[in-house]
Amino acid sequence: MLAPMPLLIFLTLAAVFAPGLPRDLPVAVVDLDGSTLSRQLVRMVDGASDVAVTQQVPSLSEARQALIARDVYAILMIPPEMERNLFLEQSPEIVIFSNSQFLASGGAAARSMGTSVLTLAAGVSLRLLESNGVGPDRAMDLITPIPVQQSPLFNPSLDYIQFLLSAIIPTVMQIFICAAAVLSFSRERHSPGGLSNFLQQSGSAAQGIAGKLLPYTVLGTLVLLLGDVLLFTFFGADFRGNVLVFFLNGLLFILACQMLGALIAMFATSATGALGMMAVIVAPAFGFAGVSFPRFGMSGFAQAWGSIIPLTPYLELRTDQTLRGAPLQYSAPTMLWLFALLIVFTTLLWIMLHMRARAVTAGGET
Amino acid sequence: MSALRRFMTEIIGVLRNLFADSSARMTMIAGILVYSALYPQPFVGEVLRDVPIAVIDQDNSTESRKLLRLIDANDHVAIMAAVPNMEAARDAFFKRDVYGIVIIPAGFERNLLTGAPAPIAAFGDGSYLLVYSNIMGAVTSVARAMGVEVNLARLTDTGMDEDQARTALAPVTVTNIAVFNPQGGYASYVVPASFVLILQQTLLMGIGLLHAGRRFPTGLGMWAAPVAYIGLYLGWIAFTQLLLPAFYGIPRVGNIGTLMLIGLPFLSACTALGFALALLIPRREGVVFFLVVMGLPLFFLSGIAWPIESIPEYLHMLSLLVPSSSAISAFVAVNQMGATPKDIADAVQIQIILAFGYTLLAILIYRIKGAQHQVTGS
Repeated sequence: MLAPMPLLIFLTLAAVFAPGLPRDLPVAVVDLDGSTLSRQLVRMVDGASDVAVTQQVPSLSEARQALIARDVYAILMIPPEMERNLFLEQSPEIVIFSNSQFLASGGAAARSMGTSVLTLAAGVSLRLLESNGVGPDRAMDLITPIPVQQSPLFNPSLDYIQFLLSAIIPTVMQIFICAAAVLSFSRERHSPGGLSNFLQQSGSAAQGIAGKLLPYTVLGTLVLLLGDVLLFTFFGADFRGNVLVFFLNGLLFILACQMLGALIAMFATSATGALGMMAVIVAPAFGFAGVSFPRFGMSGFAQAWGSIIPLTPYLELRTDQTLRGAPLQYSAPTMLWLFALLIVFTTLLWIMLHMRARAVTAGGET
Repeated sequence: MSALRRFMTEIIGVLRNLFADSSARMTMIAGILVYSALYPQPFVGEVLRDVPIAVIDQDNSTESRKLLRLIDANDHVAIMAAVPNMEAARDAFFKRDVYGIVIIPAGFERNLLTGAPAPIAAFGDGSYLLVYSNIMGAVTSVARAMGVEVNLARLTDTGMDEDQARTALAPVTVTNIAVFNPQGGYASYVVPASFVLILQQTLLMGIGLLHAGRRFPTGLGMWAAPVAYIGLYLGWIAFTQLLLPAFYGIPRVGNIGTLMLIGLPFLSACTALGFALALLIPRREGVVFFLVVMGLPLFFLSGIAWPIESIPEYLHMLSLLVPSSSAISAFVAVNQMGATPKDIADAVQIQIILAFGYTLLAILIYRIKGAQHQVTGS
């Protein structure tokens, strides 16, 4: 159950994000003009790879209905007499409505349609300038006087596999590893005298902790590695970093998650209570790690809370060592932070183990 | 009359039981309250403003400084550092001091004055898509606006009428209107949808905690338990869909009646699934573990963060077996977009089918288990 489930989740999510980028997002067109030019615009919009015109409706209210029914993500409205007004130089207004409640899809559809409209406008602009006596070469220069050469520094295709899938897998693993540690420590923690027996049998707290957690460390590392091997080979995600640092990062991450899980088990009063407490801490970690909404845009509290969850430094370092290919000196502080979290969690666990064991031998289960 | 009273006593008994079990109380009451305070925190800023960027001004002219001033004045980005070369910019970038770099090459002003194209370059962090689109959106819109001004001056210099020149350069006006979430806020986008999933997961977990591996209620209690859970969670729907948005300033237009039209079948489907899971997974820890792990994957199957149209058909059909997969976008449609019952009819039907299906499944498992019990003679 423990090992195949994360891999199954990985494969499911890989199938979800396999296209890499959303394609053919359905949009509606309200063409109130019906001219040659407006039909050309509709063809251009439909021709773009990220949207597909699935509905051509006669009125805005029908298009709005399709938007609410979630049949389309955005609407292109072409005003009546657009072509005529264009050449009368009356600057007709084209409106793009997008469903921003589906921020990613609606935004992508609107951006794509906006680009198509601008392309069409540039063509019209060229014709208008020429008809105003500006020479064709000169007119071309006038179209975009300040062209912006846009380049993503990494992830050149802005691919969702590299960006989301690569971050979701560790998020799921964090829950797994924490939960496994919670469960393995809960048994002793919540049976009478369990902890002191456990400490006596294992010789020392360090040996006891190691004996309990080590099998899952190995298992977790293997599962994480297997997922990464699939990601970097089969799905062709970029790897520009240092393999050793990447591996060490994964190991520190897993150890930190285990210590956090075991520590939570010490605080809770039952195994299920510990799992519930863990869920509150670990389940919202994806948002706090800043994958979707970046950390520098968050409040001080959200940044601080995020920084004590192992996932946050792990993902930052992971991005450094995969997509960014950052030189090691830039990753060192993040790695030290992750290491510090590990030390703090381990120390707290060690203290709690002794405190709880003593409380039991002193004659009272807490 | 006394039957009704007995039933009410049963329901109160179920709820008392729930409050007496510390794990169930923590999941179905305290957990939701803690999530309500904690989960929205990363997103309360709503809109990403002032993404820090570095600039390399190799032209250092009046026009290049003007362009940089305009970029800095744009809401979406903020110039953090003016650096002499790419090396310094990369350094700031790797340190995560800046997330983008704008380069104005030497000769920018001369090109503008002589009427030649004056290109600039913008680099953005492709590992954070929101950051990238913020930077590119800001830089291109500033460059376009400044370009129009420059061109206008050029054309009017040749004697063209200003209005004529303006329309020739920008023959159409493009207006972008964001509907339902006008400021494009991130909390408005993520929070209402996520809480539908949170309610489903905690309800499933709670039922697992209260019933997995335990004697099942019989007689009147068999009916009282689901009614009690659904009643409790109708309250949570009101709390998370009405109060939370008000508290976090998230726009909401929904009709409460329509909300309950999807809410009630959704909770029925979840409750039935909860009992089926509690019967299938004998250990309480197992139920909780399984559900905590499934939360994030289920969110990505709901069509909010990633379009349903891009999910493989078989996977989408399979995902419909989980109530949240179709319910989340229906909740959003009603509460955030003002959808009418007709708009969410499909999702409501799916919830009803799931509710009946999982009820039958739960009864079936119960019967099979009961038969095994009698055979083993315990």
